[in-house]
Amino acid sequence: MKIILSIMTGITFLIGGELEIGSAMPLMDHQLADISGKNITLANAKGDAGTLVIFSCNTCPWVIRWEDRYVTLANTYAPKGIGMIAVNSNAARFGSEDSLEEMVEHAKNNGYNFPYAQDPGSKLATAFGATKTPHIYLFNADDKLVYLGAIDDNAKNAKKVEVPFLANAIDALLAGKPINPQATKALGCSIKFN
Amino acid sequence: MRLLLFVLGLSFLLLFSACSNVDLIATDSKTIQEHLSNYKGEKAVLLNVWATSCAPCVEEFPMIVSLGNEIKGLEVVFVSADFDDQLGKVKSYLNEQKVTGVSFIKNENDQSFISGIHPEWSGSLPFTIFYGKISGKMLIFWEGKESESKFREAIQRAINE
Repeated sequence: MKIILSIMTGITFLIGGELEIGSAMPLMDHQLADISGKNITLANAKGDAGTLVIFSCNTCPWVIRWEDRYVTLANTYAPKGIGMIAVNSNAARFGSEDSLEEMVEHAKNNGYNFPYAQDPGSKLATAFGATKTPHIYLFNADDKLVYLGAIDDNAKNAKKVEVPFLANAIDALLAGKPINPQATKALGCSIKFN
Repeated sequence: MRLLLFVLGLSFLLLFSACSNVDLIATDSKTIQEHLSNYKGEKAVLLNVWATSCAPCVEEFPMIVSLGNEIKGLEVVFVSADFDDQLGKVKSYLNEQKVTGVSFIKNENDQSFISGIHPEWSGSLPFTIFYGKISGKMLIFWEGKESESKFREAIQRAINE
């Protein structure tokens, strides 16, 4: 049975479908190069109450408009047991604007208070079926996907957000309530796979 | 001196507007779909959602413009997904690329815009859809930048169907 399951998971990765709600967090031991200079895995980044994985990068205008909320989310939810990591899967640009040095600088300039790590070979993005930045995945304490998609409904202006999809999802997760909606969509820059 | 400046300024404005052959309309996905339905039975349609700040979008943009100029049975419709404070930049880029006729920029929230353009689109840019000339139906779509040969193949199918 385990063999069949792993073959099926492999096929899902190959055809590049997006992770479905209820799926287990994939590639938890894939080594990522963090801005701290050390390697990190999703298993290291996970929190006791849940884990937030954000596919991100240094230059995408949607990331730049939204990333003030990354910091707010970390400030609000890290003390409540939510682990958070931003993953840069733009492997085709690791030699230029998404280099580790540029990421260190970007994190410093924007007050990142969470790990920000390169995904060698864009393997995590492929396994998640992530296509763009920012692209959000929230897992519960059992590492099952409970929400995916957008941070909120206004990239441009945090003060004009009408529905903070992600914060609502995390609040519901922490309160043990159903998450609604479980999936949302937003515009973003395509991930630059190798 | 003031009069001279005024005349010079006016001439520049007239020259600029004469150079601008694109009609950039800020609208929602529903209006865009209605616009596309006008081409049923007349032309195949290539819809491309792009943004000035999206590198792969601007890499393939000139190729798409040139396909639209070359292939008579094809209508190319560009939809900019730029933020609404980038209107000037979008218009300048369209003029620079010599895009003429009607072009769109979204003025709807992301969620309903994405679903209104195509329910299976994740929101990643660029995004391209081909509609059949005869059926007017959506035939092929993809996310991301693609080769000219893949575009030509899809256009041929859209013209025949």
